[in-house]
Amino acid sequence: MIRRATLTILLGVATAFAQDIPDRPEKLQFAPIKFETPRVKDFKVKLQNGIPAFVAQNGKEGSPLVRVTVSWRGGAYLDPKGKEGLAGLFGSQLTQGGTTKLEAAKLEDRLEALAATLTSSCADTSCNISLQVLDKDLPEGLDLLMQALTQPAFSQERLDLAKRQARQRINRRNDDVTSIANYQMRYLLYGENFFASADDTVASQEAITRDDLVGFHARGLHPANLFVAASGQFDRKAMVDALNRTVGSIKAGPQARVSPVVPTPDFPRSPGIFVTDKDAPQATVRWVFPGIRRTDADWYAGFVANQILGGRGFTSRLMKKIRSDEGLTYGVYSTLEPGTYWRGDVTGSMQTKNRSVAYAMRLALEEIRKLKEQLVSDDELRVNKDGIIEAFPSQWATKQAIANRFADEAREGWPEDWWVSYREKIQAVTVADVQRMAKKLADNDKMVILAVGKASEMEAGDPDHPGALKDMAPLPLKRVPLRDPATLKPVP
Amino acid sequence: MILTRGLVLAAVFLAATPLMAQDVPVVERTLSNGMRLVMVERHEQPTIACAWLARVGSANERSGTTGIAHLFEHMMFKGTMTIGTRDPRRDAELNARQDEVQIRIREEMSILREKQRRGEIADMMDPKARTPRLQEALDEFDRLVKEQRELIVKDEMDKIYTQAGGTGLNASTSEDRTNYIISLPSNKLELWFWLESDRLANPVFREFYSERDVILEERRQTLESRPSGVVDEAFNAMTWMASPYHWEVIGWSSDISQVTREQANQFFATYYAPNNITAILVGDFNADAAYALAEKYFGRIPANPKGVPEVITLEPKQPAEQRMVAEVETNPSLQVVFKTTSAVHKDAPALQALAGILGGTPMFMGRPGGPGGQRPPSGRLYKALVLNQKVATNASASFSGMKMGGTFNIRVTPAPGKSPGELEPALQAEIDKVLKDGVTDEELQRFKNATLVGFYGRLETNTGIRETLTQFLAVGTVQDFKDSLARTQAVTREDVQRVAQKYLVKEGRNVLVTSRKEGKR
Repeated sequence: MIRRATLTILLGVATAFAQDIPDRPEKLQFAPIKFETPRVKDFKVKLQNGIPAFVAQNGKEGSPLVRVTVSWRGGAYLDPKGKEGLAGLFGSQLTQGGTTKLEAAKLEDRLEALAATLTSSCADTSCNISLQVLDKDLPEGLDLLMQALTQPAFSQERLDLAKRQARQRINRRNDDVTSIANYQMRYLLYGENFFASADDTVASQEAITRDDLVGFHARGLHPANLFVAASGQFDRKAMVDALNRTVGSIKAGPQARVSPVVPTPDFPRSPGIFVTDKDAPQATVRWVFPGIRRTDADWYAGFVANQILGGRGFTSRLMKKIRSDEGLTYGVYSTLEPGTYWRGDVTGSMQTKNRSVAYAMRLALEEIRKLKEQLVSDDELRVNKDGIIEAFPSQWATKQAIANRFADEAREGWPEDWWVSYREKIQAVTVADVQRMAKKLADNDKMVILAVGKASEMEAGDPDHPGALKDMAPLPLKRVPLRDPATLKPVP
Repeated sequence: MILTRGLVLAAVFLAATPLMAQDVPVVERTLSNGMRLVMVERHEQPTIACAWLARVGSANERSGTTGIAHLFEHMMFKGTMTIGTRDPRRDAELNARQDEVQIRIREEMSILREKQRRGEIADMMDPKARTPRLQEALDEFDRLVKEQRELIVKDEMDKIYTQAGGTGLNASTSEDRTNYIISLPSNKLELWFWLESDRLANPVFREFYSERDVILEERRQTLESRPSGVVDEAFNAMTWMASPYHWEVIGWSSDISQVTREQANQFFATYYAPNNITAILVGDFNADAAYALAEKYFGRIPANPKGVPEVITLEPKQPAEQRMVAEVETNPSLQVVFKTTSAVHKDAPALQALAGILGGTPMFMGRPGGPGGQRPPSGRLYKALVLNQKVATNASASFSGMKMGGTFNIRVTPAPGKSPGELEPALQAEIDKVLKDGVTDEELQRFKNATLVGFYGRLETNTGIRETLTQFLAVGTVQDFKDSLARTQAVTREDVQRVAQKYLVKEGRNVLVTSRKEGKR
């Protein structure tokens, strides 16, 4: 049966070569593509109150939709102690709590009548409000956006509903290994007293009042904090005029202030292997090395080194070894974070059955070691560099992506036109650079490893590949208890 | 007044729609071997979104080989006679020897299966339960795998696509289709034809047995690790009695771990013939040139004159309400599922409207590079149960149409302190209102408008158009895609009430009530 199948396949190959199909794909010839990196200056406008707007209009293949996003510097880093969750509630209630002119249900009714969407949210260091509307309805859409942005009502009833929903989210904290790993790793990286690990609790949610939302709004709405991205079907000049009449007319109120600088962490991390016990069919494993910022001259080499290790799916070494060779995981990844406000991290992650954790992690450490000790081949470097460079145009595939990227980067304070020389700088990375960055970034003495799963099975390891979790690396092994979902206090 | 506004709005919508589905310039061609090629030219960005789909999925499986369609999807990345090996001849020998050892492994596994059947061991997959002969065979197999590894060019297709600037190389399997996708710079179209036709013409399913382990990990990650994962699987199996939709696409663990390469070969010969495959290209290329390339590359693959076996088993009409009461390690919830129709059934658009009106039309803002976020649902259920009665914190409804059938799903999250049981009468009251009084013109018009805007959003990018076409081609034809908006616009209030009365019936209810399992960490 199998032999016959092979025979058919061989005949198939013979037929293939009969027509002038090259025997290897490398023999195909491709015409070059010229792609100009979009420039900030072609999109950026200063509104009359100084707010930068990034405006990108559709070509003829776009749809009749318009999207306007106003974002600002602010977010959970401004939550007062004891009121963690304030920015999150504010973020949703800005558009769900109605306006002083339209109560919540009426605002939603108008949006539905226009088939428009108006959403808002706050993350750690930014907030945004976003409108999607048909081009013909842009004036009314912008009016609704401005009402929500400048005159939100923060309906008490809607706030109470949002708190009930938050309570349910809090209740789910320990339900799966991923969610547990998320909070445990933040405590390991940032300690107990930094906004990046300060999640809401039942008590902090209860402490938040409508007045807190009003105050948060009054402080944040300052033109110096705001950025606009607009994209879609419109005439550019008309859009700029419309933005000037609306967002461009916002003035700082009496309580408004320029958002303070995002604080940087000073927590001394303890390297180690940390284990949280959770009865689950599969464990999640994460590891973290200190990284670099995107403005560092070494970023490009670091990025390529990370691609080779684990940033590029199946072409990366971790995936080839741990998934393709060993069948131990559905996916394993490594990421070099850009480090928006402070040095980022190099983070790795995978999920595997409890008993495979020690072995799979040993394999990962082995791949990291090889990258430090042996030069990568020219071929492997070329594949990864070409991949980044050739795929570059796809990052800019829509006008919405261009406008939002430029607005986000302006808000985060990245240099303008950082991308213009990007491809050349990636091309300049050498095999020696990759090794140098692997050594610089993957410092095992500073490594934090976290495994969440059935501790007894994880710690014992796999009889087929003997080795206990504690012997995986010369780092101390420590159990870290689950936290109470309601209080986030460790459960002894 | 409001009603008039709705109608005026509709008129304006239809007049100002440069991007209606019927205006997407879809070209459909059939190759000499019966393979179909669906193309949309768009020239503003130098990229092409590529896909091909085989009309085969978990619905084509049988008990004992569940999960094979999905396992097969993984095998299609393992290379060909040319791609993925340094020595095709030695590679084939090693594959044959591996298969021989696997026969011995299966013999030992059947001994263990018998022991498990008699209760002498608890779990035949437990390494501690292995017989010495099994361990010997596993060790020998391991040696053969290691030897083969020296010849393998690991994940070579991924490497070639990566170097060419490909993004999003992936595949997915559903109940009804298996889909292989990638986006490429527009100058690399011929590379796509080369690699994709090569893996259809000359595939080699190497690393077959270790890939079964990957899939078991995938199952653990995507199904078993979800707090309600195995209960959801059981609920689905309860809902579908006879239809092959009874099992999850990923299959039962017992079957995944025992699939053989011979079964995979058989599966490929039956379902991956060109006459069961459609390719989709969207982006910056010339359709005539692409057609010529398709004939040159894909045209060399012989058709299967026998055709593809149909899925015969039809789901019988459900005679009585079915109910599952489960404890799970997460928040309580209430789900009610009614079996409905295929996605291309004439009742489908009205069922979609019913879901939109009851559950709200989620309108996604998320585009590549855009801020995410979804507006809260605005349907009747959310308004009644969440906003007015405050007994729930979320309530949604959806119609899910597959090829051979579909479901109408309602999901409610009780408010803190409320039990799912308390919600059932309130939910039934809302359903009864539709059964008795139907829906309003304004609700229906708003649903139609939201659907249109949703379509605009999806048809903005090459990948969005590719995904939308894939959805329709998995269950129907290009004509179904072209007609879909017109079918939605043609739905009447009477249609909505009629389908509610036809499908949302008492004996058709499948109810899942979950409460939080306490005391387990």
